Amino acid sequence: MDAAAEPVPERRWRRFADVVALTLGANVWLSLVIIPSVQIGALRGTATLVVALLPLLVLGAGIAVRSELLLLGGFPSTLLAPISLNPAIAAAHLFGPVRFFVVALGVVAYLLAGSYFMAFHEPATPRSARPLASSTEPRADRWRRRERVYWTLTALSVVCPLLGIYWVNFDPAINAFMQQMYPGRVASMSTLLNVTVLALWLVVYLHVFLGALKPHRTGDRELVTDLGILRSQAKSGRPRLRFHLAVAAALILMGVLVYMRRG
Amino acid sequence: MRRYFFEVLALALIGGSMFFFKEAIDYLARRDYVASLIVMMIGLAVITVGKEMARLALVQRD
Repeated sequence: MDAAAEPVPERRWRRFADVVALTLGANVWLSLVIIPSVQIGALRGTATLVVALLPLLVLGAGIAVRSELLLLGGFPSTLLAPISLNPAIAAAHLFGPVRFFVVALGVVAYLLAGSYFMAFHEPATPRSARPLASSTEPRADRWRRRERVYWTLTALSVVCPLLGIYWVNFDPAINAFMQQMYPGRVASMSTLLNVTVLALWLVVYLHVFLGALKPHRTGDRELVTDLGILRSQAKSGRPRLRFHLAVAAALILMGVLVYMRRG
Repeated sequence: MRRYFFEVLALALIGGSMFFFKEAIDYLARRDYVASLIVMMIGLAVITVGKEMARLALVQRD
């Protein structure tokens, strides 16, 4: 669509979205890469400078082509490039617990703002509008429950990885074990553990958080069907065959255990 | 209370699984890799049950 023919509000929203994404992305880049690199004097050499500038180039490209993949996948991934070249950039002593949470807040703000504005579209002004009859009634309990679950899952999906990274880098007991068990290799072991935490969180996010919400988009027919089957079975008042099998297996295994202890 | 049962259970299970993940990191720091793997599996099992509770909370009508 020709930019000149677009309605003004749409262009303003796009410009606003681009400025927000650029500001928040640049904040993340500065906090995670540039400032720690300057602190440890890591910005030396052409290759290091190029790698340090790479995330900013990916961010700019993502904003220019309005690509979700570049903004939410490419940019965060390229932030790891300078850190993988020089793991000392992400050392715990450079960050401290308070600075860690401030930087983490910046990363979460960038990801939320980026995904919100990439998906946002200003709707066209309707010819006429009329409120639905149900809009005047108080919201049903199930809708309020669903919203609570959405917010709970969103909050947990942010808190879980932050806690994991905090424990790896700042928990006193874990730090003491790392000093004792990996002398001289604490920084590289911490980096490996951080990457492990992030990889595990990605698996948990896809399997648990998205796993609960994806079927919900279409009414979770599979679960509703299973619940219907369970309800009709419960009405019969008799346990299923698997119940009898499980009880028999438990009794047999208990008998084997007692026999092994006594015999 | 019945209204919030599955939500509270989902929050407790997903939040509680973090304890097992912390223990897994602790075992990794102590170079006890087998124990770490086992505790991580337990944590994944607990968080999976929490996910099922969240699914039940989402389909619950009242």
